[in-house]
Amino acid sequence: MEAKAIMQTVLKRYNIYLVLLLLFIVATILNPNFLTAANMTNVARQLAVTTILAFGATILIIGGMLDLSAGSVLALSGVVAAQVFVDTQSLFLSMFSGILVGMACNFVNAVMVASFRAPPFIATLAMMTMARGAALLYTNGQNVLQLGRFSEFGQGSDPFFGIPYPIIYLFVLFLLTWYLLRHTRFGRSIYAIGGNEEAARASGINVVQSKYMAYLINGAFVGIAGVLFMSRINVGQPNGAIGYEFHALTAAIIGGTSFSGGIGTAAGTLAGAFIVGFLNNIMNLTGVSSFIQQIVRGAIIALAVIYDIWMKNRKTKSVLGSIENKDGSDKGTNRTIENGTTTDTDSGTKIDT
Amino acid sequence: MKMKLILAVVLVVALLAGCATTPAPAPAAPATPAQDAPAQDAPEAPPTDGEVFRVAYIARAQADAFAAWLANAVLEEAANYPNIEVTVFDGQASDSVVNTHIENAIVNQFDVIIVQPHNGEAQRPFVEQAVAAGIHTITTNARIDGIPGSSSVDADPFEQAAVNARVAIDQIPEGANVVVLNGPPGNFHADERRRAWQAEFFDARPDVTIVGEQIANWNIDEAMSFMEDWMIANDRIDAIISMNDNMALGALEAVRGTAFEGLLAYGVDGTAEAVLSIQAGEMTQTTLQSAYDLAELLLQTSYRLLMGLDTEIHVDVGNPIVTIDNVEDFIELHRRAGAIS
Repeated sequence: MEAKAIMQTVLKRYNIYLVLLLLFIVATILNPNFLTAANMTNVARQLAVTTILAFGATILIIGGMLDLSAGSVLALSGVVAAQVFVDTQSLFLSMFSGILVGMACNFVNAVMVASFRAPPFIATLAMMTMARGAALLYTNGQNVLQLGRFSEFGQGSDPFFGIPYPIIYLFVLFLLTWYLLRHTRFGRSIYAIGGNEEAARASGINVVQSKYMAYLINGAFVGIAGVLFMSRINVGQPNGAIGYEFHALTAAIIGGTSFSGGIGTAAGTLAGAFIVGFLNNIMNLTGVSSFIQQIVRGAIIALAVIYDIWMKNRKTKSVLGSIENKDGSDKGTNRTIENGTTTDTDSGTKIDT
Repeated sequence: MKMKLILAVVLVVALLAGCATTPAPAPAAPATPAQDAPAQDAPEAPPTDGEVFRVAYIARAQADAFAAWLANAVLEEAANYPNIEVTVFDGQASDSVVNTHIENAIVNQFDVIIVQPHNGEAQRPFVEQAVAAGIHTITTNARIDGIPGSSSVDADPFEQAAVNARVAIDQIPEGANVVVLNGPPGNFHADERRRAWQAEFFDARPDVTIVGEQIANWNIDEAMSFMEDWMIANDRIDAIISMNDNMALGALEAVRGTAFEGLLAYGVDGTAEAVLSIQAGEMTQTTLQSAYDLAELLLQTSYRLLMGLDTEIHVDVGNPIVTIDNVEDFIELHRRAGAIS
């Protein structure tokens, strides 16, 4: 009985990693080229940009926010960084300007969302259009060419171990996201805001400040992703990275970040990104057609969302059951269950999972 | 209250700024005297009593590098026609936006409507409406066939790829492994270019094996990822056959610094990046789809229709091949346009 309970706990807690492991094993069996150092490096390098975006998205979604402008801001940051490099030949200044542009755009997002209380979906949709327009205006719709050493960011490797720079950025930003979410006051505030914003405000959390922080961190991540993206393709493309915000959201959702807020981890998002990456990789290695690849990717997202809702409903039932068993009655508290979240309508407190 | 006031002020300032720059985004062609700077092959202008004709140029998507190049080239070319004023509208890669622009141009009684379709069949009824309204209508890149009264200026996408494929027959080695990068399915140019490679190359060379073929949607980053995976899955790849330059360049970025370096690579478009790559000895060849030639013919066609010299015109630009032997000419072409510094 105890072994079954342990097994259930492991399955619940580590399900995303088990899926990743299963996929890894299946892919290894399907193609002998899959489990090679070159291919693993290949997958990680390909995933770096979207996963970095996904870390920013994870922080925002946990806090009940969203960023649909990530792809466009990435393009704007990237072309500005590329142009700054062409003009100054300074790698530092180009990276700095890319991050600055990303943060500036997300500061505007934060103003709209945190100060004006605009719905994040609408506010960042507006920024998505503005940033893309700004990128096209800045470059007059033409690519920034002859980037020279700028490509080192996306194509270079460290001189000691030969690890590609995008993978180093990916790892460092993963650690940063994990640390911010797990070990800082900001992280705890974000979980609380996403769980129940009113309760968080009532308990003394500076909600506006936390939201600004979240968007600014996201902006820095988007800026870095922009520099990596443009340097990887060795062109400053104002029309690049269209739809990347959705790739990032996909990684976060598959990784267990809940759209209703308050739930998610950096490690989960990393695993989610690798599930998508391994899947794409093995389908390419085995020559699966583009049409089928799209169906499979869509199905995986649908399954992840259904699983998320199912798990939350199960947990809600189990929480309610245990409360009733403990007290023998509901003691007159009014509760509603909506979207897998149980809300105590007397106090407004969410029992979130 | 304070917030609302700030917001109102910001909106008013934005509106005023918008009004001050209308019509955006295209500046009207400056009134250059015809005798000073006529278009090289522009027909001689009959007297027009100072009348200025309004041309609506509806671009497929300003976010598309080639579409942006073409829109800019049209504006540059329009500067040679003092009695023609061009306004560019951005179709934003959306059928409904392109169609709305056509409807608006009809209502606003433009003299000529030039449409670069996002999807020819989706735009067909709207182009027909424009023709029915008595407005001169031109479709370009790609043309919409079979609309009586509508003119067209285009490049032949089959021929663009076919000229490459015919040369590749002798260049790609016996028993070669090749990869193929396709544009969006259903896109006229993407489909025709792929059909040309099949008819002119693959049917003639059964010894060649396609070890990877994917849709990279004209995108450099998607092509790059596919090529990285194909290099893992195959010991030998001899050639990249791409339906545009962007995807060929993405695949070549993946190859850089690996054992696969030096393979053959074919594209279409003759973009600035592609000619630089050919100059650097990376890309093998491409076919120029010259936005400048298209723009020149578009303005000439508009002019002839407006002057009543013709009622319907259908013309194609040529498909010159760009190789290491003639690349300097094309670099100079892009340099003059400011795309290469």
